[in-house]
Amino acid sequence: MIVFDQVNKYYGDFHVLKNINLTINKGEVVVVIGPSGSGKSTLLRCINRLETISEGSLSVNGLNVADKKTDINKLRRNIGMVFQHFHLYPHKTVLENIMLAPKKVLGQTDAEAKKIAQKYLEKVGIADKANSFPSQLSGGQQQRVAIARGLAMGPEIMLFDEPTSALDPEMIGEVLDVMKALAHEGMTMVVVTHEMGFAREVADRIVFMDEGKVLEEAIPAEFYANPREERARLFLSRILNH
Amino acid sequence: MDFAGAYTPDNIKFLLEGFWVTIQVAFVSIILSFIIGGLVGIIRYAKVPVLSQILAMIVETVRNLPLLLIIFFTYFALPEVRIKLEIIPAAIVALTIFESAMLSEVIRSGLKSVDKGQMEAARSSGLSYVQALIHIILPQALRRMVPPIVSQFISLLKDTSLAVVISLPELTHHGQIIYGQSQKFLIPILILVALMYFVVNYSLSIVAQRLELKRT
Ligand SMILES: Nc1ncnc2c1ncn2[C@@H]1O[C@H](COP(=O)(O)OP(=O)(O)O)[C@@H](O)[C@H]1O
Ligand SMILES: [Mg+2]
Repeated sequence: MIVFDQVNKYYGDFHVLKNINLTINKGEVVVVIGPSGSGKSTLLRCINRLETISEGSLSVNGLNVADKKTDINKLRRNIGMVFQHFHLYPHKTVLENIMLAPKKVLGQTDAEAKKIAQKYLEKVGIADKANSFPSQLSGGQQQRVAIARGLAMGPEIMLFDEPTSALDPEMIGEVLDVMKALAHEGMTMVVVTHEMGFAREVADRIVFMDEGKVLEEAIPAEFYANPREERARLFLSRILNH
Repeated sequence: MDFAGAYTPDNIKFLLEGFWVTIQVAFVSIILSFIIGGLVGIIRYAKVPVLSQILAMIVETVRNLPLLLIIFFTYFALPEVRIKLEIIPAAIVALTIFESAMLSEVIRSGLKSVDKGQMEAARSSGLSYVQALIHIILPQALRRMVPPIVSQFISLLKDTSLAVVISLPELTHHGQIIYGQSQKFLIPILILVALMYFVVNYSLSIVAQRLELKRT
């Protein structure tokens, strides 16, 4: 479903992604971990072309992401993205945040979009906040709205870039629970996170990145018990003793 | 000083007529500058190739010229190339050129002040660049831009008095005509002229403050 084939990316002289080969299948949950600056966000952002790759090929659902002829907005409809800092639209209510893209991109009527938005708000457990503004919500609630906003487009793939890193510890659980439920329903997910509990419970695979390279791919139990790479071992001991 | 002689009903009426011209000229220029400055600001924010570079050059040039020179230019120089403008249109064109350049910068920096993540969130949900601009970036930027835009408008209203040099029949000009009749009218008339500018501009800034308060 998502195929990186010999992908390289540079920011000027800086080689940020190095020879990435990675295949993510439909329904798979892949957790990406690695030290800060190792290229995890960049990898994720290439998938929906928030960043462009420099070399190699990257396809999503058979569509060539790098090709200028690919209708990028059509590709993006099918990929939801959740950011570390939520990026909800502060001038719109929760409901309007969720309804905007379905209305403008999919051409849904107000009533249709509203019905779908409410359905997803229920799903993430904050139906009562539909008419609040983002600034009136806690971090955990905002992130759940952001997830509902992504889901409302009916995507086949969801990307998460450190969705719980900006949250107070007591709110991490409520967001992870929503993500776990999504994983159990068979959503294809690529998640950058250091939450080991989440990875152990729902990830099919862990991808460990360091200095722009994918150093190791393994199933979670294997990876956490016995990482093959020295750097992965070092990294794990650091986040465990944290 | 002769307040009674200066403040005759005829004189006050004459000043108000001048002030009405000031307000009309300022109002038309404000609307035009907002449209043109808005477009220029958006084009430069969006970094439209070539066009945004050309506009950047023009904006920088205009911003670094005295408004007075631009007024001279539209009234005295344009006829040399067979573009003859009457006094009022010449004043409006000059003010619009100057104010559009100023406002385009206000609008561009307002757009730039919106968090980059807003555009990314909008684009990643499938919205086009233009849709993201219209629904996400512009509304947030506009709220932030209300105070600087209003202060720009206030300075435009005051700047209208510079058109006295081409005899635009506005408030300052009418004031000059009255105190031209007698030195004794000078101070009373200047006080009244100042009061008129002050009342309108001060009201505008109060409105701007209200809008700001409402937002927060
Ligand atoms: N727009 C950019 N221009 C230049 N360098 C960048 C840019 N974005 C990220 N980088 C650099 O690329 C590297 C990888 O960044 P990122 O993908 O955000 O890493 P991670 O998410 O793993 O922390 C970092 O060293 C970062 O400084
Ligand atoms: Mg990152």
